Amino acid sequence: MAQLIPFTYRPGNSLLHRLDVRLKFFTICLISMSLLSAHLPACGGYALVLVFFFKTAGLNVWETLNSMKYFMLLLFFVFMARVLTVPGDILFVFHDISISEQGIMEGGLVAFKFFLVMVTGLIFSTTTKPSSVKSAVQWFLKPVPFVPEKRVAVMISLSLGFMPVILKQAREISNAQKARCADLQKNPIKRILRLVFPLLKKTFLSADSLVLAMESRCYTDDRTDPEFTPSGNERCFFAGTVVLCLSLVCF
Amino acid sequence: MNTTSQHLKMTVYTALFVAFIAIGAFIAIPIGPVPIVLQNMFVLLAGIILGPVWGLACVAIYLLIGLAGMPVFSGGTSGIGRLFGPTGGYLLGYLPAVFVTGSISKGLGKKMSSDILAMLLGTLIVYGAGVPWLKVVTAMSFGKAITMGMVPFLPGDILKIIAAAVIARRLRPVIKL
Amino acid sequence: MPEKIIDINDLCHTFSDGYIGLKAICVSIYKGEFIILAGKNGSGKTTFLRHLNGLLQSDSGQIRVKGHSVSNHLIQTRKTIGMVFQDADTQIVGDTVFDEVAFGLENLKFSRADITAKVTQALKGLSLFHLQDRTPSSLSGGEKRRLAIAGILVMDPEVIVFDEPFSNLDYPGTIQVLTTIIALNQSGHTIIIATHDIETVICEATRVIIMENGQIKEDGTPADLVKHLESYGVKEPCSSKFGLGIQPWRS
Repeated sequence: MAQLIPFTYRPGNSLLHRLDVRLKFFTICLISMSLLSAHLPACGGYALVLVFFFKTAGLNVWETLNSMKYFMLLLFFVFMARVLTVPGDILFVFHDISISEQGIMEGGLVAFKFFLVMVTGLIFSTTTKPSSVKSAVQWFLKPVPFVPEKRVAVMISLSLGFMPVILKQAREISNAQKARCADLQKNPIKRILRLVFPLLKKTFLSADSLVLAMESRCYTDDRTDPEFTPSGNERCFFAGTVVLCLSLVCF
Repeated sequence: MNTTSQHLKMTVYTALFVAFIAIGAFIAIPIGPVPIVLQNMFVLLAGIILGPVWGLACVAIYLLIGLAGMPVFSGGTSGIGRLFGPTGGYLLGYLPAVFVTGSISKGLGKKMSSDILAMLLGTLIVYGAGVPWLKVVTAMSFGKAITMGMVPFLPGDILKIIAAAVIARRLRPVIKL
Repeated sequence: MPEKIIDINDLCHTFSDGYIGLKAICVSIYKGEFIILAGKNGSGKTTFLRHLNGLLQSDSGQIRVKGHSVSNHLIQTRKTIGMVFQDADTQIVGDTVFDEVAFGLENLKFSRADITAKVTQALKGLSLFHLQDRTPSSLSGGEKRRLAIAGILVMDPEVIVFDEPFSNLDYPGTIQVLTTIIALNQSGHTIIIATHDIETVICEATRVIIMENGQIKEDGTPADLVKHLESYGVKEPCSSKFGLGIQPWRS
C-alpha cells in the first residue's frame, strides 16, 4: 500500500500535525476555493507560504515531485489545451498552430493553481491521521439530515482497513496464477475474471466473519463520539487563513 | 437472519466495495496499448450487487474519503483539487451511474442480460458527466474531448462489462444477497 | 464447586441447507476452567462457539449464561463472553491499534475518558502500548492476535473463547499468544479454546471436550482422554505417544 500510494500519513509533531483536524479541513476548503479566483501575484505569494509549511511537514521536494509525475502529465495537458485554444497576440506560428502570449499565460496560471491545490491537499494528508480525518468527516456530517454519520465513520474505517488486505490477496492470487503460466492466457475477459472473481469471493467471505466479529463486540450505530484535541494555536491559524484567503481573492 | 445483522452485513459489504473502488484505480490488467483499469467495473458491480441505495452510499463514501484528503483517487492523489480537476466529471458521474445501474438491474430481476444493459447505461452516464467536464476544464473542443476522454477506453469498457456480468452471476450465490 | 457460568441444555442447530450443525449438546462450564474443545474440521466446534455468543440462534434447547437466556440478553452475554476469531485480519475494525481496542467500548457508549483509561490499561497488560498509533495491518501475526485479545479483554469478559488461536502463527507468535492465554486463565478468566491441534495447550488445560459430527463424544480431564484423541481425528501429543505423559509445549 505504502509503495502504491505516495501521500500517506507520516507521524510527526509539527504545528500542522497538532492542529485540530476540523480546522485544517475547513482551511483547506477555504484556500482551495479562494485560489480559483486568485491572480498570478497572489498565487506566487501562496506558493511561498506553502514552501514554508512543506518544510514544516517534513516533506522531501524530490520525492514529492517524483510521486506526482502522473499528475504533472495531466497538468501539462491542461496547459497545452489552453495554449492551443486561447486567442490573443500571436507569439509565434508553427505550421498551422499559432501560440499566443495570452494562451501561455492563462494555461500556465491554470496549471499552477491546480498544482498549488494539489500540494495543499498533500500537506494535509501527510500531516493528518486517517482516524482523525474520519472523525472530522463524522463531525461535519452531523448536521446533514438523513445521513447516519456514525455508520459512515465506521464504514470509512472498515474500507481503509480492507484496502491493504485486498492488495495483499490480489498479489497472492496473481502470483499463484503466474506460477501456473496464466500469462499465456490471451482472452482479456478470462484474465479479468481469473483475478477478480477469486479476489471478490475471498474478501466477501472474510467480510462475513468480520460481520460476526463486530456483532460479538456489540456493534450499534449509537456509539461514543470521537474526541478532538485542539493544540491551542487554532485561533492564530484561523486568523492567518482568513487574511491569506482575502489576499488571494483581492490580488 | 434478523434485520440488524442484515443491516450490519450490508454496511460491511458496502465498505468492502468502497475499498475495491479505491483499489480499482491501481489494479491494471495490461492488455493492448491502454491498460484496463478496473475502477469503473467495481463501481458498476457495486450497483448490481449492492443495489441502488447501498451502491449510491458506496460511491458517495468513496468520493467523500477522497475529498477528505485520503489518497484514494487514481495516481494516489485526492482532495478538492482532484474532484474539481479535469477528470473530476468521471468521478462525480459515478454517483448517478451506480444508482441507475443498480435500479435497472434490480428492476429487471438481476438476470445476466439485464445486468449488461444496466451496466451499459451506467457506463454512458459516466462519460456523459466526464466528457463535458473535461471539455470545460481543459477548454478543448467537444470532438477532441470525445477522442481523448472516451474513445480509447470503450473497447476495455465492453470487456469489463461482460466480465462484471459473469462475476455478478457467480458472486450472488456465494454472498446470498 | 466453583460458580457455574454457562449452562447448555439439549442444544440443536440445523443449517438452512439441511446440514446438521449440532445435535443435543448438554454441557456446563464453570468459573476458572481451561477447556479445550477438540475435534477435526467440520465437527461442529465453530458452530458451537457461535451459539455461546448469540451469533447463531438455536432450533431447540437452551443456553444460559450466568442464569440468563442468551437470546434474551444478547448484550449482557457478549460482555460476559468475549470471542477471539480465527483470522485476526478479518476482525480488525479500527484504523489504529488504539481505535481497534476502543471499538467495543464505543459500542457500549463508555465516556471518552473511561475509554482512554481502559484501553491504555488493556494495551499495557498485553505489552502493545508502544504500538498504539500503528496501523493494525502493519503488525506481526502474534501482535495481531494479541490485539484481537486486547479488543475483547477491554470489555471485561469473564469467559474468553478462542477459535483456533494458533493457526498461521510462527514459533515466537505462538509463544506470545500461549503466554497471554495462560496469564488470562491465572487472573481468573475462564478459557475455552477450539482447536484441532491440541499439542500446544493440552498441558495447561483442566478439561477436554471432544466433538464429532455435531455431538459431544467425550468430556473429561486431559490425562483421561489423551489416548482417545486419535480415534476422533485429533493428533495425540508427541510426548504422550512416546510414553512421557503430557508435557508443557513451551520449553
